[in-house]
Amino acid sequence: MKRWVAAVLLSLGLLSGCNQNSGPKRITIGVSFETLQTEYWVAGFEAIKAELKKRDIAVLEAIADGDANRQLEQVNNFIARGVDGIIAVPKDAKTIIPMIKAANAADIPIVLYNRPAGKTDAKSVAVVADNPGITKATVQYMCEQAKKSGKKHKALLLMGDLGDINAVGRRDGFESAVKEYSDIIEVVARVPTEWNQEKALAGVTNALQAHPDINFIFTSSDFLFPSIVAALKNADRYKRIGEEGHVLLGGFDGDPTAYQMLKDGYLDADGVQNVYFESEAAVQAVLDLKAGKSVPEVIRDPGFVIHQGNLNEMSPQMWGAQVKNAQAGK
Amino acid sequence: MIETGSGKLSRVSLRYSSTLIFLAVPAIFSLLSPRFLAVNNLVNILIQSASTAIVATGMTFVLLTAGIDLSVGSVMFVSAVLAGKLALNGQPLWLATAAILLVGMLYGAFNAICVARLRIIPFIATLATLYFGRGLGLWLTETRAMNLPESILRIGSASIAGIPFPVWTLAFVVGVAHLILTRTSFGRQIYAMGNDADAARKAGVRTDRIKFAVYVISGFCAALGGLVSIAQLGAVSPTFGNQREFAAISAAVLGGVSLFGGRGAVLPGVLLGALLIQTIENGLVIANADPYIYPLVMSLIIFLAVMLDSLRNRMLRRSQPRIIRPFHE
Repeated sequence: MKRWVAAVLLSLGLLSGCNQNSGPKRITIGVSFETLQTEYWVAGFEAIKAELKKRDIAVLEAIADGDANRQLEQVNNFIARGVDGIIAVPKDAKTIIPMIKAANAADIPIVLYNRPAGKTDAKSVAVVADNPGITKATVQYMCEQAKKSGKKHKALLLMGDLGDINAVGRRDGFESAVKEYSDIIEVVARVPTEWNQEKALAGVTNALQAHPDINFIFTSSDFLFPSIVAALKNADRYKRIGEEGHVLLGGFDGDPTAYQMLKDGYLDADGVQNVYFESEAAVQAVLDLKAGKSVPEVIRDPGFVIHQGNLNEMSPQMWGAQVKNAQAGK
Repeated sequence: MIETGSGKLSRVSLRYSSTLIFLAVPAIFSLLSPRFLAVNNLVNILIQSASTAIVATGMTFVLLTAGIDLSVGSVMFVSAVLAGKLALNGQPLWLATAAILLVGMLYGAFNAICVARLRIIPFIATLATLYFGRGLGLWLTETRAMNLPESILRIGSASIAGIPFPVWTLAFVVGVAHLILTRTSFGRQIYAMGNDADAARKAGVRTDRIKFAVYVISGFCAALGGLVSIAQLGAVSPTFGNQREFAAISAAVLGGVSLFGGRGAVLPGVLLGALLIQTIENGLVIANADPYIYPLVMSLIIFLAVMLDSLRNRMLRRSQPRIIRPFHE
């Protein structure tokens, strides 16, 4: 609601601004997000708007609330308004294709943020995180820590929704990393959480029940950390790094909870999607396409692994750290 | 009617089909892993089922009147968000807890007004309030996860006389619901209304009042189920309670509650339904099953239970006059 009101006010402001300015027309970009249901999407949305503001580009905002039809209407509205470019987070790989085709027909560049389109001859650019790569690097770091301890480790993987391509990519990254360390890591439980905290809590509790000696846990998303922490606390296993009985912990996203756990010395490593890289790349890609420059079809965010060794150096690029600091500054 | 021995056996086994499935599933898991039957694990299953069973108990009241409440997940979310905000602002825990239950009842009352006064079909009314609640909760939290004070987690892990808090709450809710449905005139009126609303009205039952009450009860139970959940999690994420309505409806239907109203019982039915769902999830983790088979096993067992239930209904309808009391009496 707030955002709608803001969008309407902003549009009115833009219109009145256009009337007063007799100079060159200000560039306008339409931004359509499928949802704002997780902190990650909110951070991405804010980062894109900040990037556009920095470049003095006007923005039209739209949130589809998980409805692909609504997203199609929103993109059509952008086209009807004659925007100079579109940045969209697709609901899924298939439903975005008609929207890309509509933008192509109107000769408006379109960039997909964080989720690629399915196979199509329609032209778009996708900026996506390297889910398997970032996860693999994170889990490799954890495995190295396990190796240093000289002990064998029993691992638990918390998976996301099996229908989500990002969740599957992270699962693949995890499996490929632990395979290289099969002499010291044994995966004793793989829990499908359907991205649900309560299922994650039950899953970790059950796995700890079956294997009380689990000492290596990786979650495919940081937002499941409260479930892991609650289950470990119930089993009296939540210990800082270096304390006797510490469970090696790793995650993916780079959210504020993970940042706090890193700072407090409980979390070993976290794979971070670089929201700032992705938003800057998306805006740059739209502008380059508009200027007729050639842009690769997929721009990959290499992300990075943040851990106790590089926390101070990398935290300015971790979106969760920025959100946490902004909250603390309020 | 003359009945053969095998006919009698199949009738008895159909009548107790959900109980039989409930016994068969743990038996299979205990063969797959000896740890499954450990006392600690059984207590775990009970704790993990508590929230769903409580929400499903409230849902049962609504289903018995041939209604449905799709908004329970949103009630959990909104009430948890408001209570979380109070707790994070330094308000005492009792106030946050009371706020959760009050918000749940108010939300239920709003559903009740839509259904009983404005005569909106329950499916549509509660679908609208489902979206309203989720939107309201996201707006209030600005999609930020809330990590609640440590004191809330302490409630979740507290025990009285060696029995954990979630289990006490579950026992209390299921016990009171059972007594209301089986020992009070209000309970009998709910069944009567679910069987035939017109006949009940003609017999003097104030059906609007009954409708109002069941939606308030459902809202209250949803909020209490949410409280039991956040007391164990210590956090409220933007997806908290999402799709919980399906788990609650599944538990009720597995427990023998009819979606057409008038039939079913909280004890043992709904309780067994909720325990069965959790037992399957628990057993699959303990047996280190392939994550892809979770939904297959779950849907197979739900299908089996519902199919047996439908067979049982047909058979009983053929052999008995219509009744307006639960079967176990």
